[in-house]
Amino acid sequence: MLTFLLKKLPSVVVVAIASSLIAFILPRMAPGDPAVALAGSDASPEQLAAVREQIGLNGPLHEQYFHWMWNLLHGDLGRSFAMRRPVSTLIMSRLESTVELAALALMLMIIIGFTLGILSATLRHQSARAGLDILNTICLATPPFLTGLLLILLLGIAFPILPVSGEIGLLRDPLKGLQFLILPAFALALPQAAVVARLLTTAINSVRGEDFIDLAKAKGVPPGRLMRRHLLRNSLGPAIVAIGLRAGELLGGAIVIEAIFARNGLGQLAVSSVQNRDYLVLQALILGAVLVAVLIQLLSEITIAALDPRIRLES
Amino acid sequence: MAAPQSKLIHRHWFNPSIAGYMQAFTTTRGIVALTVIILISALAFLAPFIFPLGYDIQSRESLRAPSLVHFFGTDELGRDLFVRSIYGLRSDLTLVYCAVPVSMVAGTLLGLIGAVSPRLGNFVQRCLDIIVGFPGLILGICVVLVLGAGWTALLVAIVISGLPSFGRLARATLLAQQQREYVIAARTLGVGKWQIMVRHILPNAIDPIIVQGAVFVVSAIFIEAALSIVGLGLQPPEPSLGTLLNNGMRYVSRAPTYVLGPTVILILVALAFSMLADALNDTVNRK
Repeated sequence: MLTFLLKKLPSVVVVAIASSLIAFILPRMAPGDPAVALAGSDASPEQLAAVREQIGLNGPLHEQYFHWMWNLLHGDLGRSFAMRRPVSTLIMSRLESTVELAALALMLMIIIGFTLGILSATLRHQSARAGLDILNTICLATPPFLTGLLLILLLGIAFPILPVSGEIGLLRDPLKGLQFLILPAFALALPQAAVVARLLTTAINSVRGEDFIDLAKAKGVPPGRLMRRHLLRNSLGPAIVAIGLRAGELLGGAIVIEAIFARNGLGQLAVSSVQNRDYLVLQALILGAVLVAVLIQLLSEITIAALDPRIRLES
Repeated sequence: MAAPQSKLIHRHWFNPSIAGYMQAFTTTRGIVALTVIILISALAFLAPFIFPLGYDIQSRESLRAPSLVHFFGTDELGRDLFVRSIYGLRSDLTLVYCAVPVSMVAGTLLGLIGAVSPRLGNFVQRCLDIIVGFPGLILGICVVLVLGAGWTALLVAIVISGLPSFGRLARATLLAQQQREYVIAARTLGVGKWQIMVRHILPNAIDPIIVQGAVFVVSAIFIEAALSIVGLGLQPPEPSLGTLLNNGMRYVSRAPTYVLGPTVILILVALAFSMLADALNDTVNRK
């Protein structure tokens, strides 16, 4: 396992450096000068220079980049020049909201995806399978924000069961927090769960044709155990890869979901930073998002390697 | 079997047997899809004639419930939401009808570029892979970051996010057809690379790309909506379905139709274009 991880390390480092470069350059391609925005349009050149000096935007680009990286490696993300607070404070204050949303969505995605996938691979009735298939297609085609809007209209307005706007931290009040969290997480998870379900169904159906399944049946393995130990274990690969890849989509979708459900998370921070051209906040957020996506993907690869000795030993 | 096959291959690119595609509109699904699309497009693009007063007429009746005068009620400034939704649909359809064809043509050419230079083709594919690596909205946000929110950013965001799917379809056709006898024969006869690409490979790529075009219209409308909902789409007072949703979320408990109206229109458009894609797909597969 350790050699497997070590082999993966270089590609992770390359991706991290590449994404840090992108995170650094992209905000700087934007039109408009943040120094002008801060000092006002009638500021004198000296004032502008002073403001630039203050927010660290003077000097050539490569110097700025290395300065940023150096501070980054020492745990200093710099200061937001629009909100005049350290970037790390800003991010930490929003982190809980987004982590709760993403974590619950990830859990729901796995639970719903696996339930739907296994169900539609095992149901005997043709019509029930067809029904599940249609449900799956609808979920697959509906983006999170649309599911979110429909859920709000249905469960928040027509039948006011759950709160649809705002949030309460899970740590402060777990029960109330969960009420605020369940709809956005569900909306975020549903389309991705449909992907997982579809891949799992396909995989199970193709594994079912293998000889070792016939052997197990002939040995008299009961259906439940056959599913768990023989079918599912050998069909998990594609679903786990999908979960790893879909985690990035989850982060992207979280931005819209936060806007719809009026949650004050990192997505909202990113949007306001785009509007304010707040370089340092954006840099940190872009880099963070890419790194999290890479780590989750790595985690899914580790899971597959743990499940399948062939992959582990090959490398 | 042999006859239609050769007909398909030798079809010239600017004469893609339109009669073939018209077959899609003889099925129920195709007829329904086409009717809905024509109706909503007509309603949207004729909006300045149907509602000549425009979308920005304010009144004191703010956040009213739906009535015979205001089908969707009114917004926080007393503007009629039905009129705003139709004008919003007009913005969306304008965006989509401009951006999707550009994305189709550009993506297809990028995918086929490998016919002229295999190296360049591989390079282009790697670039398209990078685009795929940016999950949905994040690509759009990066575009808005560079270009500033507005029409241009939305157009560019939609065009770019469509490139990979069109490029891959075109490349798949290219790789499949490149080794076929007739292409080798053409090359042996000294036909130029560009001509092979345009006359022999492109006609084979057109069918799947047209289907994907209809599919992508739905994604394009969703991209607009998602970007506008977070506040990075069209800027007020210009309406789009997404900006209406963005504003409406603030008043959702007092005036649910503020959100419901644009949502229903959004779903209607998405369904119509999905059905169109299905109908086209059936026809293409039958050919």
